[in-house]
Amino acid sequence: MTDLAILGWYSVIALCLVMYVVLDGYDLGLGILTLGDTDERRRRENVDLVATAWDGNESWIILLGVSLWAGLPGAYAVALPALYLPVIVMLLAVIARGVAVEAAAHGTVVPRSWGLVFGLGSLVAAVTQGLIMGGLLSGVRVEDGEFAGGTWDFLTPFSLLTAAATVALYVTAAAAVLQVKDGYVARPRVARAAATLTVALVAACAVVFFAWEDTWPRPGGAQLVVATVLALVGAAAMVLLMLRCWADRGPQPVVLLTIAEVAGMTGVLVYLHPVVVPPELTLPEVAAPPSSIGFLLVGVGLNIPLVLFYNWYAHHVFRGKYVPRTASELPEGVSPASEAVRPRGSEVR
Amino acid sequence: MPDPTVLDLSRWQFAVTIAFHMTFPAITVGLSIFLAVVYALHLRTRKPVYLQIFRFWKRIFALGFALGVVSGTVITFEFGLNWGKFAHATGPIIGPIIGMEVVTAFFLEAGFIGIMLYGDGRVSERVMMVSTSLVALGTILSTTWIISANSWMQTPSGYRVVDGQFVPTSWWEAIFSPSFGWRFPHMLLGVLITAAWLVAGIGAYYLRHGRATEFGRRTLSLSLGVVTLLLPAQLWIGDQVAARYVIPDQPAKFQALEGNWDSDNTGYLLLVVPDQQAERNRVEVGVPRLGSWIAKDLSGETATPGLKETPPQLRPDMLTTFYGFRAMFYASMVMFAAAFVGVVLRLRGRLYSSPRYHRFLVWLTPIGIVAIIGGWVTAEAGRQPWVVFGEMRTADGVSDIAPGSVVATFAAFTLTYLTLLVVWVVYVVRSVRRGPESDWPDGELGSDGDDPRRDAEVTA
Repeated sequence: MTDLAILGWYSVIALCLVMYVVLDGYDLGLGILTLGDTDERRRRENVDLVATAWDGNESWIILLGVSLWAGLPGAYAVALPALYLPVIVMLLAVIARGVAVEAAAHGTVVPRSWGLVFGLGSLVAAVTQGLIMGGLLSGVRVEDGEFAGGTWDFLTPFSLLTAAATVALYVTAAAAVLQVKDGYVARPRVARAAATLTVALVAACAVVFFAWEDTWPRPGGAQLVVATVLALVGAAAMVLLMLRCWADRGPQPVVLLTIAEVAGMTGVLVYLHPVVVPPELTLPEVAAPPSSIGFLLVGVGLNIPLVLFYNWYAHHVFRGKYVPRTASELPEGVSPASEAVRPRGSEVR
Repeated sequence: MPDPTVLDLSRWQFAVTIAFHMTFPAITVGLSIFLAVVYALHLRTRKPVYLQIFRFWKRIFALGFALGVVSGTVITFEFGLNWGKFAHATGPIIGPIIGMEVVTAFFLEAGFIGIMLYGDGRVSERVMMVSTSLVALGTILSTTWIISANSWMQTPSGYRVVDGQFVPTSWWEAIFSPSFGWRFPHMLLGVLITAAWLVAGIGAYYLRHGRATEFGRRTLSLSLGVVTLLLPAQLWIGDQVAARYVIPDQPAKFQALEGNWDSDNTGYLLLVVPDQQAERNRVEVGVPRLGSWIAKDLSGETATPGLKETPPQLRPDMLTTFYGFRAMFYASMVMFAAAFVGVVLRLRGRLYSSPRYHRFLVWLTPIGIVAIIGGWVTAEAGRQPWVVFGEMRTADGVSDIAPGSVVATFAAFTLTYLTLLVVWVVYVVRSVRRGPESDWPDGELGSDGDDPRRDAEVTA
């Protein structure tokens, strides 16, 4: 029973990770794309699209951190000191871009400086998230349940690869979201780049997949089968994405990429199980006592559907295509981001 | 035993990051409630000024909230980064409490703040009202859980220790630990009062400069009303916090905040320069007998216990605890006096026409933040050397990390946060200088459908 409860909580943590990568991935990607946009209107569009959603999207990383701490304190206390530098740099980047978005969203123009902070902050956040993932998968030195490695242990050739793959993933996700959202600003460059990006992403993921040297006992039986199936589903979605779907301006890229992300990450987690901090720390070793896990499942777990609803509702309210506005077109007292996207053909009340 | 420099640096890093973080919830919790009230007034009265107030303040709220979110993310991770052993030991109790904060409060705020900030004109007014209220509810719930977690560190209960880990035995007792019942209302009133001073200060600025006078009058009247009602309650509750939990549960904190070493002083100290090693104050300025009067003995004979009653290794630092408390206490006295003058002026009908009082209020704009940070310094520095009072020392909670990394990241955080503070202040000052949108003719406010430009674009 306890094992099942721990596994239940582990899936909540996995959900947080997947939700974070899917949701904040695209808005970090939009930030990275801003770096290549010399056009003020495009900066404006990216900021507007991010402004209405980033608070909610970013909340998942906070829940991820807290869920790890509360449910797997043994892993949290080891992984964070091991990944000290990339985590802190990520936090600093996240701060910078969040403030840049909010500071720029209420004006009518996005100053170059804020655009740059938004873009660089997003890029650094993506790179460090990749380093964190890669550093963790490369293995962490642990003695007596405590981190026993060095400050720079996270920096391995493998973690550099995962960092590159993460940037490629987020930018592709942003391109996919733009495909749905962008109604008015011509984006031939992004559309062309999207195809190239997908190829780069597929290549990066393939290299990461084959470069990953796992030094711990491999799972066998059903677990290996599930992980393999998930990996194949993810790969299939990526190939489909690469082959088509960028041509028409529909939601297919978002759907396919999301399938790839969910299947890929779930596959890795299934493959790792029960290892939480490679190569050695396992789920039962790092889990909180049963009284905490029980409380978490009931108290926190039961709130997850509500949380998903808030996320869906916030995105639902701001659905539709992007409509660029000039300052004079905006009603007084309304931020550009409020007006940025409109469902097609919707009547304004 | 980890490197002592890592301990000191980690403590400083945490102190700087949490003090910066705390500034923003201190403002935004109260502001979110203010915004909900103002939006409700707009729906009820249909007076343009309320929508004007709502739109002006929500922009200041937005950046404050963003700063609170991003700096709060830092705090969550810092528990694991610099305080890995603390995180491991307390994770089973504090982790779930913070987890509840995230799922019940934080997502609620983050989910609906987008609608509240950018929903104007695209969702119905009822949805706007609901979203604004949900954001306010979220901030209150957030305060509840955070104070619960911190109160558990002050007065731990409902647990037993197994292999160096705190294992919950009763969630009820852990969540509602003995100090929670007094500290929660203390904090909630604190943030409401802080936001009210901010609103009052900016309202007074407009009255003083003769701009947006209707806006200035309404906000000044509302915020001073709130302050006048809440301050007396806050003084009473603050007194209860000391009497019901600090004095009985954490005597060393009380001894340090009084600034006494020996237990024979019946006065009240205003200034000290303590020498922690020599167990005495190098400089000491006080009012004789006042300490006894505060302790409700008018004969002037009651002495305040001194820090020597606590063994040296269990003493908090007197300097920070003493001045943290003084910052909170003196700030609240100034606020009380200012609120009193406000009541007098209101009764004489001169509240809106006294430039000197308005200038005074402009100066008082950030005073609530000073009081709140002072209060937290007292609570946290006074708890030392414990991180979980009576159970786990701060020194045993710190991670084994390289001092170099902590120095580098501490410098990076300090620099970033100073920049952000400047950005925030400049943003607020600019917004205030630019002023709320000019008064619109009736009818254009609230009903966006009349705007032909929008229809043209949507059908385009």
